[in-house]
Amino acid sequence: MNAAPAFLGYAAAVGVLAPRLLLRSSWPQRAPLLAVAVWFALAASFSVCVQLAAAHLTTPGAHLHGILYSCRAALGLGGEPDAATGPSWGLVALVVLAAAHLTGFAFHAVRAYAARARHRDVLDKVGRPSARLRATVVDHAEPAAYCLPGRRPRVVVSSGAVDALSHDELGAVVEHERAHIHGRHHLVLAAAHAFAWIFPGLPLARHLREQIPLLLEMAADDRALRRSPQNALATAMFTLASGRAPRGALAVGGETVLIRLKRVLVPPRSAHPALRCTVGTGALMAPLLPVLLTCHAGLG
Amino acid sequence: MRRLGELEAEIMDRLWTWDRPATVREIVDDINRRRPAAYTTVMTVATILYDKGWLTRRKQGQAWLYTPVRSREAYSAALMEDALGASRDRSAALVHFVERMTDEEVAALREALRATGRGGEL
Repeated sequence: MNAAPAFLGYAAAVGVLAPRLLLRSSWPQRAPLLAVAVWFALAASFSVCVQLAAAHLTTPGAHLHGILYSCRAALGLGGEPDAATGPSWGLVALVVLAAAHLTGFAFHAVRAYAARARHRDVLDKVGRPSARLRATVVDHAEPAAYCLPGRRPRVVVSSGAVDALSHDELGAVVEHERAHIHGRHHLVLAAAHAFAWIFPGLPLARHLREQIPLLLEMAADDRALRRSPQNALATAMFTLASGRAPRGALAVGGETVLIRLKRVLVPPRSAHPALRCTVGTGALMAPLLPVLLTCHAGLG
Repeated sequence: MRRLGELEAEIMDRLWTWDRPATVREIVDDINRRRPAAYTTVMTVATILYDKGWLTRRKQGQAWLYTPVRSREAYSAALMEDALGASRDRSAALVHFVERMTDEEVAALREALRATGRGGEL
């Protein structure tokens, strides 16, 4: 039996329907990091499914055991592959797609790394490190704040932001940026970009690429709120977001500030442990499901 | 050993603060008031900065007189443009505190804040 149609159906459900469901639910705002995990679980599930579908389309009659067998054979661990599995085009499809994932991630991570290195080179000459603020201050009238994640990270605030914000507000901003750095959020973003790069036009990829940055901002907001008062973070957000937009910079992400501000000012109930458990288990199972499916198909 | 970048920053900082051309000797003497630095090291790093396009130089007698190519303000402005500019790929490189909003969005935000009863504080 060829299980390819089943895989394609499952892939369609995960790639098109699941993101719609996720976008409509409200719990991601309450548990942003869990939501990040769910988005990536869906992405992993979709990838696995596409790979298995490719394997089944190219090698009808094969199933996962056969593929695993071919893997072992290819690595020289097992005996000769039997004639039934033939020249394993399925294996080729698996390897090609896996390589595409790794390449995409490496490409985006390295490009971002290079951009940061160029930026840091200028920043370290132009900026003035402030031990009190735990940030680098750049002379610039416009209020702005951002961070350079990765190795040798920097939190950057403009002198305009130092002038415009109170001590508490600056503390909240710096704490937010440090959350990005400690959470290695740049790697998560690179993974999101890589997935969108491999599957352009796929609704799951498009929404994932849009949602992950927002969810990471929410996670950083939550972390900043552990040390900073709500009002300090909210006023800082408003001051920095409503400042004059620099030339060429359009406020594409403006509405995300609105969502975040509402969330900081009127905090949603934190997610119930039962919900966390259920969603977490679901996220863990999603990528495994197509594999279980293939085993079943293989046995049947 | 100090990082090369740190010494680059120290040299640029002095030239910008003095706001006049200076020799490596002057820079070394000034750095030496705080910590020891070898003349040859500073000269090497000044040459690196010249090669990278940060400094220009002209001969005065035996010594080179170094001048920053652009002001600190000009570099700061370019840096901020790079950080806040509209490049699509910057998001993974630089993580922003917030994106800028349009006037309409600011108005919507004010309205939302008023609705939560905290508008007066902003």
